[in-house]
Amino acid sequence: MKEFLSLWLLDRCSPILERLGCDYPLLRAILKVKLTMDARRVPTIMRKSRVTKPPKSDRNSLIPALVVYVFMGLILVPFVLMRGNYVFSMSTAFAILMVLVLMSMISDFSSVLLDVRDRAIILTKPVPERTISFARGIHVAIYLSLITGALAGPALIAGLFGQGIEFFLLFLLMVGLLDLFVLVFTALLYLAVLHIFDGERLKDMINYVQIGMSIVMLVGYQLVGRSFDLFRMHLEFQAAWWQALIPPFWFGAAFSWLQAGAHGVETVIMAALSIAVPAALFGLYIRLMPTYERRLEKLAEDTQRHTGRAPWLLSCITKLVCASREERTFFQFSWLMMAKERDFKLKVYPSLALALVFPLFFMLNPVVSGGGHTMPSGKAYLYIYATAMVAPTFLQMLKHSSHYKGAWIYQVAPVIRLSSIYRGAIKAALLRLFVPVLVIEGLIFIAIFGVPVVPQLVLAGLSISVYTVVGFWLMEKDLPFSRPFESRPAANRYMVFVLIFLILALVGIHFVFTLVPFGTSIYMGILLLLNALVWSWGFRFLDKPALTQQSGMVARE
Amino acid sequence: MAVSIRDLRISFGDKRVLNGVNLEVERGQIVGYIGPNGAGKSTTIKAVLGLVKDYAGEIRVFGQTIGDGDGGYKRRIGYVPETAEIYEALTAQEYLTFIGRLYGLDERTADRRARALMGILDLSSAYHSRLSSYSKGMRQKVLLISSLLHNPDILFLDEPLNGLDANSVSVVKDILAQLAAKGKTIFYSSHIMEVVQKISHRIVLLNEGRVVADGRFEDLAKQASEQSLEQVFNDITGFHEYVDIAAQFVSAVDEVVG
Repeated sequence: MKEFLSLWLLDRCSPILERLGCDYPLLRAILKVKLTMDARRVPTIMRKSRVTKPPKSDRNSLIPALVVYVFMGLILVPFVLMRGNYVFSMSTAFAILMVLVLMSMISDFSSVLLDVRDRAIILTKPVPERTISFARGIHVAIYLSLITGALAGPALIAGLFGQGIEFFLLFLLMVGLLDLFVLVFTALLYLAVLHIFDGERLKDMINYVQIGMSIVMLVGYQLVGRSFDLFRMHLEFQAAWWQALIPPFWFGAAFSWLQAGAHGVETVIMAALSIAVPAALFGLYIRLMPTYERRLEKLAEDTQRHTGRAPWLLSCITKLVCASREERTFFQFSWLMMAKERDFKLKVYPSLALALVFPLFFMLNPVVSGGGHTMPSGKAYLYIYATAMVAPTFLQMLKHSSHYKGAWIYQVAPVIRLSSIYRGAIKAALLRLFVPVLVIEGLIFIAIFGVPVVPQLVLAGLSISVYTVVGFWLMEKDLPFSRPFESRPAANRYMVFVLIFLILALVGIHFVFTLVPFGTSIYMGILLLLNALVWSWGFRFLDKPALTQQSGMVARE
Repeated sequence: MAVSIRDLRISFGDKRVLNGVNLEVERGQIVGYIGPNGAGKSTTIKAVLGLVKDYAGEIRVFGQTIGDGDGGYKRRIGYVPETAEIYEALTAQEYLTFIGRLYGLDERTADRRARALMGILDLSSAYHSRLSSYSKGMRQKVLLISSLLHNPDILFLDEPLNGLDANSVSVVKDILAQLAAKGKTIFYSSHIMEVVQKISHRIVLLNEGRVVADGRFEDLAKQASEQSLEQVFNDITGFHEYVDIAAQFVSAVDEVVG
């Protein structure tokens, strides 16, 4: 274990902590272990691209993540440099910051706030409860300040040079209050959910919040692109009562009051809320801390709820899309794994949300679409191909599972054709994950472009279906759910680029067919034929090179 | 008296887990604490360790009511949890010195003792490897060491032999016997009745949140006129259908596979 700068800083505060009733050496020991473990964990935003280092290296995996956060934080800079209407510019800055902090809080610190191992390992030892609570609080605070430091860093520096020292100090204070607000808000949210539901439900909820966050972030950034228009519109921005309900406005109002000298009663009240609410929530948090610890016990209990989803639906779909019995088995198996495994959902659903947003994003964003002129007029529905951008991701995810060791069943089962395994699994992934997205997207497109667009959307769907099989050919093949989530071979990353370029080719081909007479019908025929071919013959090659080579891949674990 | 529990009642929501458990355990005893799943074994242990706060009744450890102090009584307790919770990202050295520090040892002492104990159990070479790379048996040894680092007077062991090979099982059984001979009190919880029967001085059987049998194995066996603890267990918990269930199962296996 190496030493941490944060602990060195904490050492300077040790007399205060001692006075507050902490056993400082114990507190330090707990925090050191916690920080060491975090340094060895890979944060969510880095998981996409990084191959996990061999466990020996003690490099802090948080640092690259912080660099990413600094880049994300650059978006705040223009708002900080705006002069005049602080209510608008700073409220927006704080809204963005709040969303970003809350997102990383929930996606990366849920495990800290909800660690049930602590109960068995630390609570059974003679450690005073106050020390444990403080350790938990400080642990989260260290991370929260690192992350907000990275996110708000560029803006803080810009503020210091652009607006002066006073502004900087006020900004710093407000960021601190924002952190407090987010921390307590998250903890109270968890507490409420644990109170009403059980642990499993909370985990599901965190899961969905994480998914929701990735959408919010994308849409949020989309809005930022147009916020300068908004800025012009809202120059006459006046405090209104409803703004008092939206936290970022409190922070904005504080700037307006202290920096621009606005003296309206509403402004002063809202500015006061920026201090009062975090403080009040913090008081509540301190009081509820013991209840919180007790509720965590509920998480440790394994209360699985079984929802009786109609199995006939699944068996109908299975019979419809799979010919052989073997393939049906793997179709259903993959379907259920994808439905039940929370880790899998956590990793895949956000990218599905992206698939839903991508086409709209490209269509609406003036930077990307050049004001809607890059796509030839009347052909904007071709943006639906953007959904296919996530196909490589879920093809790749399909081989991962948190219970990857269960893959021994492939080896003990007598004579299974690999083609059945892969075809079943990929069909299940397409139908369960991708088709719903495509249908929703299609409905949106129909709403925008009208019913005549339907044949084109069908064409896109069919061509994405072929594309998925092609993607499968090009990518490294591992049995479904047979690898841990951490291991991700780097080679595939470049293949993902190739696959994304392939989408452009698909768009091009589709576009060409829309220009020739009867192009739609001809292309439809070609695609149907291609689909029939790739789905029936496209997996044959797997069966010849013998099962041994593939099972060797599984055995590597 | 090492541990004394009087009329302990615990409920989670509407579910009553313990319905008045009474138990007095003296020093130097190995108590086989057994019962069917959900009988309340783990809950009793959790209550003694201060993990469950909402209980009615009285729990004393060495005469001291556990709710009174600052939890200092835990210094005299060692614990191997059933779920084998462990911080996998740490090395054995880091984990064990950490646990030692939680028990109030200084870092150097904890490290020295941990290294020595690991060495004796033939884990020296893995002392600086991460626990995530350990086999189940190795982890179990680390857990056992972590529960003994501070030389406690009472041990709560929940399935401590999980994943150990036959040689290690012999070693651990003997360790327990010798610790008891030195006056340590051991709560031994397991589903493997042969082992419980062999190592326990006294057997406490819990069913539906109540102590339904308490005494030496020989006495229990005589009372129930049975040969083994397993039979005594089935007898007292009122489980007689095992022959029928086995027959049903086998005939279902034997059915012609369509």
